[in-house]
Amino acid sequence: MSLLAIPLLPLAAVLFSLVPLGKRVAPAVTLIAAAGALALAVTNSLRVVAEQHVVVVAGWVELDGLSAILLLLNTFISAMAALFSWGYIAAHQREERRIRSYYAHFNLFTFSMALVPVLFQPAFVWIAIEFTAVFSVLLVAFENTHAALEAAWKYIALMFTGAAIALLGFFILFWAQQKVGAGHYSWSGLVMVAPQMSPVLVIAAFVFILVGFGVKVGFVPMHTWLPDAHSQAPAPVCALLSGVKTTNALYVILRLAQLLPIGRVNLWMQVIGLVSVGVASFLLLQVRDYKRLFAFSTVEHMGIIFIAAGLGARGGSYGAMLQMVSHSLTKSFCFFAAGAALLVLGTREIASVRGLIRTSPTAGAALLFGALAIGGAPPFAVFLSEFSIFRAGLERGDYVVTALLAIFITVAFFGILLHVNRMVFGQPPEKPSTHAALPFTCVLTLILAAIPILVFGVYQPAKLHELVALAAANISQAPSP
Amino acid sequence: MTDPNVIIWLHNLNALTGGLFLLVLFGLVSVRQVGGCVRLFIALSLLLAASAFLLSAIYHTWHLSVVGVVDIATKVIAIPLLLRRVLPDEVYTRREVAQVLNIPTALLTALLLAIVAYLLSKPLMAVGDGIAIGVNLPIGLSGLLIGGLTAAVRREAVPLFLGLLAMENSAFFAGIGVAPEMPLIAEVSIAFDVLILVFVVGVLTRAVHEHIGTTEVGTLTALKEEPER
Amino acid sequence: MFHRVFFNVIQVVTTMLFAPLVSGVVSRLKEIVQSKRGPSIFQPYRDIWKQFHKDEVIPEQSSWIFRFTPYLVFVTPIFVTLLIPVLTDYPLFFAFMGDMLGGGFVLSLGGFFAALAAVDTGNPYGPVGASRTRMVGFLAEPVFMVVFFTVSFTAGSTIPYIVQQHWVTPLANFFEPSHVLLMLAFLMLILAEGGRIPVDNPAGHFELAMIDESKSLEYSGCSFALVKWGGHMKMFVLLCIFLNVLVTPWGLAHEQAFGAVLLAIPFLLFKILCFVVVLVVIESSLSKLRLFRIAEFLGAAFVTSVAAMISRLFAS
Repeated sequence: MSLLAIPLLPLAAVLFSLVPLGKRVAPAVTLIAAAGALALAVTNSLRVVAEQHVVVVAGWVELDGLSAILLLLNTFISAMAALFSWGYIAAHQREERRIRSYYAHFNLFTFSMALVPVLFQPAFVWIAIEFTAVFSVLLVAFENTHAALEAAWKYIALMFTGAAIALLGFFILFWAQQKVGAGHYSWSGLVMVAPQMSPVLVIAAFVFILVGFGVKVGFVPMHTWLPDAHSQAPAPVCALLSGVKTTNALYVILRLAQLLPIGRVNLWMQVIGLVSVGVASFLLLQVRDYKRLFAFSTVEHMGIIFIAAGLGARGGSYGAMLQMVSHSLTKSFCFFAAGAALLVLGTREIASVRGLIRTSPTAGAALLFGALAIGGAPPFAVFLSEFSIFRAGLERGDYVVTALLAIFITVAFFGILLHVNRMVFGQPPEKPSTHAALPFTCVLTLILAAIPILVFGVYQPAKLHELVALAAANISQAPSP
Repeated sequence: MTDPNVIIWLHNLNALTGGLFLLVLFGLVSVRQVGGCVRLFIALSLLLAASAFLLSAIYHTWHLSVVGVVDIATKVIAIPLLLRRVLPDEVYTRREVAQVLNIPTALLTALLLAIVAYLLSKPLMAVGDGIAIGVNLPIGLSGLLIGGLTAAVRREAVPLFLGLLAMENSAFFAGIGVAPEMPLIAEVSIAFDVLILVFVVGVLTRAVHEHIGTTEVGTLTALKEEPER
Repeated sequence: MFHRVFFNVIQVVTTMLFAPLVSGVVSRLKEIVQSKRGPSIFQPYRDIWKQFHKDEVIPEQSSWIFRFTPYLVFVTPIFVTLLIPVLTDYPLFFAFMGDMLGGGFVLSLGGFFAALAAVDTGNPYGPVGASRTRMVGFLAEPVFMVVFFTVSFTAGSTIPYIVQQHWVTPLANFFEPSHVLLMLAFLMLILAEGGRIPVDNPAGHFELAMIDESKSLEYSGCSFALVKWGGHMKMFVLLCIFLNVLVTPWGLAHEQAFGAVLLAIPFLLFKILCFVVVLVVIESSLSKLRLFRIAEFLGAAFVTSVAAMISRLFAS
């Protein structure tokens, strides 16, 4: 029952944000709701580890390993973003109406994202993902600048295009299941009847949902909205968009991929992933804006997860899940660091920033930490997950894929560190220090968000390992007929 | 139990709504006036509702009648009303003077996409067993493609957005033919979700109009990795 | 066999006799819609009678084409009348001389010579109008072709009598999407070929804006009467094809009796009257398109006809 409360808590916070009670109430209520949701998510995930599957309303609201991991990520990053927003928005906005409008949209956004893993009926998952897009548009356009509004328009246009294409895929999926005539239209029901469904229909549904939700994930060549939207939004929203929302869309695609037996689809997945990783890592080299840098890195990591899932072996799926966890945690931290840097510097341009570590040690250190972590340097979490993907690839003998992946990741690492080094080190320009100090909550968020990245790089708790293994089992495909 | 003649009549009428649906989609790509596009969208939604009612008679399922009623309530009545409320009246008096593609080329491209859609849906229709799949699925799929073309080719905000809504209408048009037994609550929720989307996009367009001064969103191309001048 | 020749002659006489009446009714109704009284519906007859009694003036530089064209323009619609169902729904004596495609070619032969004659006059307005007519013509050709192909594909034959049967017998066939879309496309085609609004203004007197009317600018006396009459008959023939084959294939004589054939005449006139009302509504509510937008109008007609073809070809 507590599973249902997880989305309802942010929804209640929306009501509090709409009532004019002063500037402090809305952020506080949001934070409390997010923390409560996180606590409930942890308890439910522990139940999943114990029982393998938690059922609240059969066929509609359930939780298995994969959804538990996603739910944990969603709620943790939402809580961190809520904490960060407190200081960030207070520093940026003065008007109470604007602050409350931000928190109302923020809570609607987190509500919709909490819905995605909890619902088990595919059509409802489509609706939840649509909600995540709809409720985040006004957040992307929050700053009301020319660039932000343009980014928001491109964002919603492409999001809705993808959603409409995917809707047809869900209808075809339902048709395929109706033809077999057994089982409930839910993820677990579909898995049960997967071998009997007509392959033409399942492949057609997969292609539609891959193209439709691929736009939402940001696979190349449908990624054009991602750097714009993920850089123009306020920093905590960027963290949510990159860390959680794209992962949600990828979750749906992976659920669909599970219905197909191992075969040519794996090759497609690897090719699509490689193209995304390759293009993103080369596009990284010529960004002008450090938030766009991290946005391109998101495209790259989504490609890496997709390649890992496409490897097909048990090790590949495990690596994909681990990469999903480490990427979400690390990318949100990167965006928090970028937000802190923006607060201190007031500009997004890489070329005009030098010597950040002298101007503001916290922001500089955080940015450097984030860049190293997301690039895949040890001893951070991303290194461990990428390493396990390489190992799975070599074990299966996919030397070409693994080699290309290694090259592209190296290029991306080089690109990120090139830009960040230029920003962090060196002599700061001689301007007098008009830079704002970082709010306390922002610093606290940076510290709290850094802990999992460091910890998971060297040590994996047993419960987490079991949960990731369960999730990997959930996305592994049946052997080829 | 029903007279097979009646089924043939209903099937032909459903095919007629499909043909008119395709025609209205062609109109959506090419009509210049913004107000004209809104009227075409209303016609499109009415045809979708008509097809839903006909299919509910053919397949003997009352689900689809409810879908038809909900469709009329949201897309024929609520969405145009909402757009009128949220957007300034000046937007409706506009028309596109310069297009990305001139109109005959846009129409021919739309025609090509319709043919591609028919070819793509042939293997799916071979599997099918419902009588209406041969009409709804290809036209829905071509609507998806033509709606995407509209969103790419149009510059003004309202016709661009109506092209997106037409994509969703077409996905629904294909869906009611292919999956008539889809749980009702899912289809109703989808309709209301679109309503929220329209509200949000209306607010966004209003903001664009206020801060940027024009609703020609297709011409906004400031965010690029261009070398500095 | 005697009957069939006789009925064919009745068909031709009907066309010749009632074509100016149709034009008169159209002008009168348009004026009434605009709250004016309008000329009498028999005015075109009086005009033709008057012109036959006038002297003829021929430009000095013109050649035999100019002299020959009025006769051609007068004869080609009569020729087409022999081929299409006007009063009967069974083929008549001359009906197998040509099918729909042949009829279309014959009609465009008349149009071609009219354009040539307009250029032949040496008057500057003639070639202007002629080139515009050709532009409308070549844009309308693909539509004609696709409409004919689809109709023939549907009915399995290119002879209009057989095509017409396809839509009479199982009534459900009438509502096929390809049929409705074809009707729409053919309607747009009639508006273009007949020189009606929104393509051209038949009542306009401004030579720079004329498309169809400029072809008859230089004619006078007997030739002018023939050209005018031929124009009325061409419109009548197009309407017969449209109404008797596509839109309302009922009301034609079924038995081979003289009485039945005579009874079909008022039915035909009634159908044409209904269509005239629709035409007047269209003409009064639209405005003339700018020249470059005629391409868009005919492009839309083309797309409609190809959509009809697609929905027919891929029907399950």
